[in-house]
Amino acid sequence: MDLLWSDYLNLALNGLAEGLLVALPALAVTLVFSVARFPNAAVGDFVSLGGFGALTAHRLSGGSLVAAAVGAVVAGAAGTWLGWRLAFAPLLKRNGLALLLTSIGVGFVLRSAMGLGFGHEIKLFDLPLMRAWRWGPLVMNPMDILVGAMSLICVTLVFALLRFTSVGRTMRAIADDMDLARVVGIDSRGAMARMWVLSGVICGIAGLAFGLKTQVSPESGADLLLPAFAAAVVGGLGNPLGAVLGAVSLGILQELSTPFVGFTYKIALSYVVMLLVLLWRPQGLFGRVQGVR
Amino acid sequence: MEAYLLAIFITALVYVLLTLGLNFQYGFTGLINFGYVGFFALGAYASAICTARMGWPAWTGFVLGMVVPFLLAWPLGRVALRLRDDYLAIVTLGFSEIVRLVIINEKDLTNGGQGIAGVPKLFAAEGGGSGMAADLWLALALLVACGLVAWVVRGIVKSPYGRLIQAIRDDETALLALGKNPARFKTQVLMLGGGIAGLAGSFYAHYVGYVTPDQFLPIITFQVWMAMIMGGVGRLRGAVVGAFLLLIVLEGSRAVRDLFPGIPEVAMSSVRLAVIGIALILFIRFRPQGLFGANRD
Repeated sequence: MDLLWSDYLNLALNGLAEGLLVALPALAVTLVFSVARFPNAAVGDFVSLGGFGALTAHRLSGGSLVAAAVGAVVAGAAGTWLGWRLAFAPLLKRNGLALLLTSIGVGFVLRSAMGLGFGHEIKLFDLPLMRAWRWGPLVMNPMDILVGAMSLICVTLVFALLRFTSVGRTMRAIADDMDLARVVGIDSRGAMARMWVLSGVICGIAGLAFGLKTQVSPESGADLLLPAFAAAVVGGLGNPLGAVLGAVSLGILQELSTPFVGFTYKIALSYVVMLLVLLWRPQGLFGRVQGVR
Repeated sequence: MEAYLLAIFITALVYVLLTLGLNFQYGFTGLINFGYVGFFALGAYASAICTARMGWPAWTGFVLGMVVPFLLAWPLGRVALRLRDDYLAIVTLGFSEIVRLVIINEKDLTNGGQGIAGVPKLFAAEGGGSGMAADLWLALALLVACGLVAWVVRGIVKSPYGRLIQAIRDDETALLALGKNPARFKTQVLMLGGGIAGLAGSFYAHYVGYVTPDQFLPIITFQVWMAMIMGGVGRLRGAVVGAFLLLIVLEGSRAVRDLFPGIPEVAMSSVRLAVIGIALILFIRFRPQGLFGANRD
């Protein structure tokens, strides 16, 4: 098979779009991990929830994307906040496995509630058809650009929040050392609740982006779970920048590998890369060595 | 009605086998295997390929069905066992998805997404052609297999080796300090447990008569976890109770549907999913040791 350099460039651009999409749930996974110390397996279902929130708001408002974003954020944040209050907060003193299994249960409940509430048929956003943009040999779907831009804006805002605001500082303090943070008077429960809401907001935006790019159904978000895990692990669990970089590099790698390994195996490639990275650097590419707590 | 009860009984016994294997891995050794369904799938496909595609006798499928997952657990163990618990969970979950992707993609061997039909019933000759009698024999064979596996696992757990793997679960650092190498024993436990799941898979393929990749989604793994947690982590008796309880939960919702015929099947499958999810949340919160487990967390 002879491919031109422009074909590879197109694949890389697709991979970039794909990676920016996965970056959002990966960021949500890593944020929850850094504070609550477990990989949240319900993240994909929170993404679906955000998708339904976006779709409902989009239809009610007669097709406004801003309304869709608001609906997505509200649905995602409400979902994670309820999950925190009802399921995760009572387990604060328990080990990571109890929380992980609980998150699987939460995911099942959410998926089932969405199935009962919205039905299982696949739903699409009513959007005008758009012609792909071309610059010479390069082809870009405008939707990919929109989705990628949304993801970049969301990621930038999250980093700014973590870096420059007092809310972000307390979250980072708790992620760094829970006991020490409590000693200096940080309200750890409040900070955890805010962190869950933040992860819900990110999932909501991810739901809107994923819904715009593909479809909305109760099961659709769950497909993002393993790619998000892989990205977060490759980047180092608990490292927000690592999660984003991990997602983007895995996305590009996956698309570039398609001509060689085919469509099914490109999904497996993320996991294989994850395994190799773990063998070589168990703390992830961008992670630090941590003591056991 | 008898046929229905027998069907539930056989499925429950398959889950008992799975739960025994997972309990050996998690309950006694503390290994968090979230890719358990991958080993089950390997066993089922080994049997289906040997019998339905190659036309070999059923015992070859059973042998390969145990040997293939047993051997594939080795590299997984080498990679995974240097990692912390939460990473192990993610890596094993990824493993079961890789198994499923390989099954979907290697069409020459597995017939891809369409799956393999025509896996012969065991004991068709002894049953004299009647499906019911053959299923009774199958249930009997499964009972013997469950008994054997439980006996072997019990023997291992009570042996010095068993004390060692339980020490891995309770305090790995202390074990390291005694000069033992936990990674080696964890790999062995992962392999043995994988073999048990493969055995369950072989029985399952012969009972259902066909295999498709959709039968081996990660939800099966979590159903087995559910059975183990309900019955009691680290309790062999609990594996039996938990597996039957799980089937009551799964099948009970079908019975409810017979009472309210207006509810469509998709809605009922949603309800089933919710019941599993809520039960998982409640058990972990209020009774993490299960119905028969000792109290430890």
